[in-house]
Amino acid sequence: MEQTRQKTFTCQLCGLTSPYSYYGQKPPNTRAIVLLEECYVTKDPFSPDKEKFLVLGSTCSLCSMCVCVGSDCSLFYTKRFCMQCVNKHLDQFPHQIQTELAKKKERSKAAVS
Amino acid sequence: MDSDGRRDRWDWDSPHCRAQLDEVFFRKNDYIQTGSPEHREFWAFFDRFQRFKTKKDMCGSVGARGRNGDRDEERKVKGKTAKVDLGLPVEYDARYRINVSVCTRDIEERVGKSEHRSRQRSSGPGDQEISDCRLALLHFLDFNQRQSFGKLAKLRREQKNLPIFQYQDKIVELVRRHPVVVVAGDTGCGKSTQVPQYLLSAGFDYIACTQPRRIACISLAKRVSFESLNQYGSKVGFQIRFETTRTIATKLLFLTEGLLLRQIQQDRTLAQYQVVIVDEVHERHLHCDFLLGVLRTLVAERPDLRLILMSATINIKLFSHYFSSAPVLQVPGRLFPIQVIYKPIPPEEQASRSEKLDPRPYLRILQGIDQRYPPEERGDLLLFLSGVAEISTIQEACQVYATHTQRWIVLPLHSTLSLAQQDKVFDISPPGVRKCIISTNIAETSVTIDGVRFVVDSGKVKEMSFDPKAKMQRLQEFWISRASSEQRKGRAGRTGPGVCYRLYAESDYDAFAPYPVPEIHRVALDSLILQMKSMGLGDPMSFVFIDPPPAASIQTAVTYLKEQGALDSHGELTSIGTLLSQLPVDVVIGKMLVLGSLFNLVEPVLTVAAALSVQSPFLRSSQNNPDCATARQPLHSNQGDPFTLLNTFNAWVEVKGERGGGSRKWCRRRGLEEQRLYEMVNLRRQFRDLLKSHSLLESEKNAASDGDRGQRRMRLTERKKLHQLKRDHEQQEGSKRKVLKLEEGHDGDMSSGSDTEETSRRKKDKDGPGQNMDIQEVKFKLRHNISELQEAVTVSQDMSSRHQALLKLLLCRGLYPQLAVPDEHNTNRKDSDQVFHTKNKQGVVIHPTSVFASDPEVLLVPDDGVSELGSDRRDSSKHQLLAFVTLLETNKPYLSNCVRVPALQALLLVANSMDSNADCARLVMDGWLEVELRQPEEASKLLSTALSLRGEWERLLLAQLGQSTEMRSAAQGVSRKTMEKLSDRLVRFLLYTEVSYSLRRLTAFQTQNLYIGPQPESELFQGKPPDLNSLFPGAEVKPHPIKGGLRVTSFFTYNCLADSKDLYSECLRTFWSCPNCDLYMPLTPLERMQHEASCRPAGEQQQTGEEPAEGKPGPSSVSSLSRVYHCDVCNKDLTLTSTEILKHKRQHK
Ligand SMILES: [Zn+2]
Ligand SMILES: [Zn+2]
Repeated sequence: MEQTRQKTFTCQLCGLTSPYSYYGQKPPNTRAIVLLEECYVTKDPFSPDKEKFLVLGSTCSLCSMCVCVGSDCSLFYTKRFCMQCVNKHLDQFPHQIQTELAKKKERSKAAVS
Repeated sequence: MDSDGRRDRWDWDSPHCRAQLDEVFFRKNDYIQTGSPEHREFWAFFDRFQRFKTKKDMCGSVGARGRNGDRDEERKVKGKTAKVDLGLPVEYDARYRINVSVCTRDIEERVGKSEHRSRQRSSGPGDQEISDCRLALLHFLDFNQRQSFGKLAKLRREQKNLPIFQYQDKIVELVRRHPVVVVAGDTGCGKSTQVPQYLLSAGFDYIACTQPRRIACISLAKRVSFESLNQYGSKVGFQIRFETTRTIATKLLFLTEGLLLRQIQQDRTLAQYQVVIVDEVHERHLHCDFLLGVLRTLVAERPDLRLILMSATINIKLFSHYFSSAPVLQVPGRLFPIQVIYKPIPPEEQASRSEKLDPRPYLRILQGIDQRYPPEERGDLLLFLSGVAEISTIQEACQVYATHTQRWIVLPLHSTLSLAQQDKVFDISPPGVRKCIISTNIAETSVTIDGVRFVVDSGKVKEMSFDPKAKMQRLQEFWISRASSEQRKGRAGRTGPGVCYRLYAESDYDAFAPYPVPEIHRVALDSLILQMKSMGLGDPMSFVFIDPPPAASIQTAVTYLKEQGALDSHGELTSIGTLLSQLPVDVVIGKMLVLGSLFNLVEPVLTVAAALSVQSPFLRSSQNNPDCATARQPLHSNQGDPFTLLNTFNAWVEVKGERGGGSRKWCRRRGLEEQRLYEMVNLRRQFRDLLKSHSLLESEKNAASDGDRGQRRMRLTERKKLHQLKRDHEQQEGSKRKVLKLEEGHDGDMSSGSDTEETSRRKKDKDGPGQNMDIQEVKFKLRHNISELQEAVTVSQDMSSRHQALLKLLLCRGLYPQLAVPDEHNTNRKDSDQVFHTKNKQGVVIHPTSVFASDPEVLLVPDDGVSELGSDRRDSSKHQLLAFVTLLETNKPYLSNCVRVPALQALLLVANSMDSNADCARLVMDGWLEVELRQPEEASKLLSTALSLRGEWERLLLAQLGQSTEMRSAAQGVSRKTMEKLSDRLVRFLLYTEVSYSLRRLTAFQTQNLYIGPQPESELFQGKPPDLNSLFPGAEVKPHPIKGGLRVTSFFTYNCLADSKDLYSECLRTFWSCPNCDLYMPLTPLERMQHEASCRPAGEQQQTGEEPAEGKPGPSSVSSLSRVYHCDVCNKDLTLTSTEILKHKRQHK
């Protein structure tokens, strides 16, 4: 049975909203697959197979902000971090991630100007 | 950890090795299963991933395995000295960026154990292989997540960028506060897809959103369910004529305007919906205008109902005012700037009415574009012309130019093209080449083509109008309206800045009407009025339309419906009218269906009704192709076009039964658009269901549903497979657009007809295996049981001449009063100059697509059967009439879809008004056709047979209909035997009536002086008071108040024609012996007919052996035909049948 009110996920950074069907680490029909964080999950609308799931987002492990998994909003590195927290603690992330983020910043700057 | 030796034995490329890992990760119940598409994708991904890793390893990246622990400790200590410690591993590993893990410990252990036991010779996966595979799987899952999320984010970005997005809250708030809201926004603002979603997410449930076009219902439902990430859920659905995805869970339903109206017929207050959105109201379709009128009353009755009208920014005030100044929300469109260039056509290049269009102005624009814009700058051209003939003229000229320059691909676009050809306009042109799409106004709103940069607007449109006086549709060319002109222009600015060339002057533009004429002012209103009647909306004249149609047009429709028997003389629905109002087809087609259900002709009638309700499957472009013509030949029937369609459908079903998908080629050979045949088979099925639901058809024989279990299972598996195919198709639909070839334009016309083996093979190769699946065939198989269909078809295949005659009669009665008579001089005319006349329109011709256009001889009265009596009287027993489906005037008035019927018999059986003279040898049918018979005896005999046949037919029809409306449980309203007897008599009447007569159209003068008019009784009966009732048992015979004479039945008036002699003049009596009883006496024709009506052959007699003795009242079971008669001479009351009364009166003479 469907619930009458739809549960909606909203990213507090970019505002992306989407209905979700499951919250937790073990979405239905995933068998051996386990999520390493509590996630907002929906059925993957882009997969021809209706059993596939899609993770929309989760909460930042530091500030508990609800963020989407988009690379502009959050990053997963053993845990979920919102971009604000990542930037605050950038020095603690491995240099691979630091350079990657720096490059991305460069690119978006170039796109704006 | 693993020995190199063992590693050597493990081969990632070996299917066997991979299969072993499949056993670990991709088992039957796993997220990804062996054999699934994802599984294949994974291994492809695996290969890429391995290559990537090797490359990275070679670049010197250090493997971090096993050493992380120490570093972690180190890090943690360091962290504490800083502010917050995030507890992150220092050594980077891409693995840490994946938020998914895969637990397969159970299997690993099992595999590990077995490996342990046979360590020596094992080639199974070791820990390393398993962990390699797991890592790849994790990355694969992550990759898929990123891809899908990327798509979702893009989708949301696009939604956010739509002009309507910022009005989301405003819209929801307006709808909450007002019962009716108008949302106006131009193409591209996103209203159709977004507004329903805004309402859904604001908590509104049960939303209906109407669309003028079926195709839009499907595509919008698909789009919206996709956007709301509910692609396979059932919350968003559509419902159109043959297809629905609606379930109980559906909260948003896209449906056609016509369908919502039908729903109102069933559910007057639309209790099933909370919100009704009427989209594209500015298009002003007939159904839409009517729907608005109905909703207007409904809104007052249901304050909780929310109504939203969505429109382009055209005439918005009109809609707002109609709904007591409903609030309007105007959303700016998203159009790029468009430069308008007026290029009026110089007088010397303007075509006069009869001439072909001069292509020079159009070619100049193509040239101008080639000169001004470099070919690298993409952008196609869309050219609006008024009609198909104009399109082919310009297409031809442009093609010459295109072949010369190699810079254009010329493509026509109009609704009579095959769908495959229509679809080509969406394909992509190769670099440096532009598409030149030459279209009717179909591309103005219905079809949206992206990538158009240049628009050429001829300013003309061909529009259907209805001439109520001639009862004829007319396709005429008009100047377009300013609104259409703007709409056309807008097509150039959808994807970037564009240019619009108008082939008229700016002053012309200013003189255009502001808006197009709404459909309700242009078409016949028959179906509309019928529907209004059935919805109990009262007098159509007083209904508050947004823009009321002319009163004359309503009046014409009411009269027509009366003629058709759908309304009675007071304008109320008859029982057949009630039924017709529920059939979603033209009144004439509906009538055919009802009539067909009475006789044993359901199958062919279903097919013909369906065939006449869809566009012709015969492609016009193939008509001049000799191969097609030859292949079509066996399908032709010179009985008429409905029979040709019937043959075609039957042959197609047979091919489908034998060859399945091979039918596509079969159709191509014959120049048939298979899509239309699919539509026919669907419509046929719908008609059948409708008849069944009205108990006009016995329920399914249960023989078909059974069959042994094995067969059923087989069918079930097949269905499963078909469903999968359908899903697959929906998946890949629209994902690929073909690139056009330069020569595409040339073969346009030819290819549709003669598809050779070679081209079809080439096509197959190009698309690859599996891609060649015919989705229509799949849907067809899912929807229909081919063996049942074949059975149904066989019934109508080898039709006996008797069945054929009966079917023709049914079609004729259905189509009545759409009859045409051949001109009397046709015999002396060329085949191409054959002329016909309808009651209201003289000098019409047969449409070239009709079978009678190529074979007009079958309509001529054969010479041998003609006896010349003076110059203009041709007596024959072989006169014929044409019953036709449409009369449409384009450059000439054309009849299409005709069937030929024997004139006198058909008229006697279907005419609404038959008037006779005294000896019945002269008959005037419906006030315009005059029949003269040479033998008065034959005339009255025919007439009396016809009267009795019609009486019986009407009785059975009413019984059948009455049974269906009262829902009596009796198996069948009319017994099979009675029905068969009637059809037998009808057939005999049709086939074996060999009476010579003349058939003439009355002149205007003759029609004016047709009737004797009302007479004083004394004059009429010469002082002798006749017992009128005794003459026609059951019928109320009285003088006709207008025509004069005697009104015998609702359709027959005796002796009212101006040249008539007096009713009772003795000289008209002739001796006559009844073939059924021993009566022999001089009788007037009227008396004779009356006697025949009540005197049946011994076998048929209904009250056998009940002849009451003369003078004595009959026994208690007095037959319905006898009644009390007071004889003035005997001064006694006698219970007698009419015949007996006659006999009795004779005694006193
Ligand atoms: Zn976000
Ligand atoms: Zn945070």
